[in-house]
Amino acid sequence: MLRLQSIVLAKAKHFTVPSPSSLRLVKKRMIAMDLMHHSSCFLLPTIPLQRRPSLTTAQLHLCADGGANRLYDEMPLFFPQEDASDVRRRYKPDVIKGDMDSIRREVLEFYASLGTEIVDKSHDQDTTDLHKCVTYIRDSASGLDKSNLCILVVGALGGRFDHEMGNLNVICRFSYMRIVLLSNDSLIHLLPRTYCHEIHIQTSVEGPHCGLIPIGTPSKSSTTTGLQWDLNNTAMEFGGLVSTSNIVKEEKVTVQSDCDLLWTISIKKL
Amino acid sequence: MIYKHGALFHCRYKPDVINGDMDSIRKEVLDFYRSLGTKIIDKSHDQDTTDLHKCITYIWDFAPDANKSTLCILVAGALGGRYDHEMGNLNVLYCFSSLRIVLLSDDSLIYLLPRTHHHEIHIQTCVEGPHCGLIPIGAPSRSSTTTGLRWNLNNTEMRFGGLISSSNIVVGEKVTVQSDTDLLWTISIKKL
Repeated sequence: MLRLQSIVLAKAKHFTVPSPSSLRLVKKRMIAMDLMHHSSCFLLPTIPLQRRPSLTTAQLHLCADGGANRLYDEMPLFFPQEDASDVRRRYKPDVIKGDMDSIRREVLEFYASLGTEIVDKSHDQDTTDLHKCVTYIRDSASGLDKSNLCILVVGALGGRFDHEMGNLNVICRFSYMRIVLLSNDSLIHLLPRTYCHEIHIQTSVEGPHCGLIPIGTPSKSSTTTGLQWDLNNTAMEFGGLVSTSNIVKEEKVTVQSDCDLLWTISIKKL
Repeated sequence: MIYKHGALFHCRYKPDVINGDMDSIRKEVLDFYRSLGTKIIDKSHDQDTTDLHKCITYIWDFAPDANKSTLCILVAGALGGRYDHEMGNLNVLYCFSSLRIVLLSDDSLIYLLPRTHHHEIHIQTCVEGPHCGLIPIGAPSRSSTTTGLRWNLNNTEMRFGGLISSSNIVVGEKVTVQSDTDLLWTISIKKL
């Protein structure tokens, strides 16, 4: 579930040069924007027989409050032949953080007894549990190589809609960090407006259905390549055009926009 | 395979209309409902709008003018599943902001609060709440004001990337909302 990927940031410069007839203005307009690469390598199996990424390859495992209940209850279901406690010990989180209003007492005590760090932020009602976890990763997690950080969030979608929106808002607030929200059906991450984006599609595990969502602000101009219905300096806004039910046509999709967009792509069933 | 018992069940709960681009409905399902008299509207030529959008358009065109002002459309199954579908369904609320459309899931209820109105939301506390939220998903809000919530807004700015009102709590039986932008209202549905 949490396997860090290496991220390559490359620089690309795009030049627009006036036609010869207007060269006397001696004005060259350069649009220089960094290129950001994206790839869902974390969805690929680590060994041939597995179809989901290994939990053991992540640097850090955190549970946001009631997420620990899910881990406790559901990990043993993946290994029905094994003793549930053994499975839970093998897949214990390093940290549980949040306002602790959802985690069950016996779950908290179980993981605390195994050495999981419990960070109780119940006094802080201004941020969501996910926000608290991302802040912990950014600020507090010692010994973590943060140079190529990618945070995978499982269980962030579905359930209460206000929770889901709160989680989307976290990736918007931490737009300078790579945070990927995962559900059984989809993957979502932010494409900040400050970059040109290249999204490398792992066709064995994701696609073809995809979308680009102008979350929180209308876009006056977005441009893509690699989609069935590409955008070409197209305006997008809620109440008008939003790119949904689109289809990935090539193994590389490019996106450039004047506003932050949510990229979403379907995850293939096992 | 549809057993006799199941067939009786499905006869009692058959839709009046099936509308869409027909790329998802199974053939035996289509044939079954058609045989019961369900109207089938094939809009497969229209790839510019979602299936929900097509259905709302149908309802709007079909409803008598006298009933349009009191029309309320409930949509079950609009959330969860593919995320681009969910966003497309939220967008339908914005596209038809003059209509009352309520999206329902197992956990939540969502509808649009158009900026053109001052809103009073009467809470049915036996079936909904207390968790709620106000979401400026389409555009930032420079000023929103509420009453009846644990954390009320008072000419408060809201935007994605900053403050949005999620994990809020309804404290009374009436919530009021006024905003300079269209907001999504969402409230939790109580488990049976």
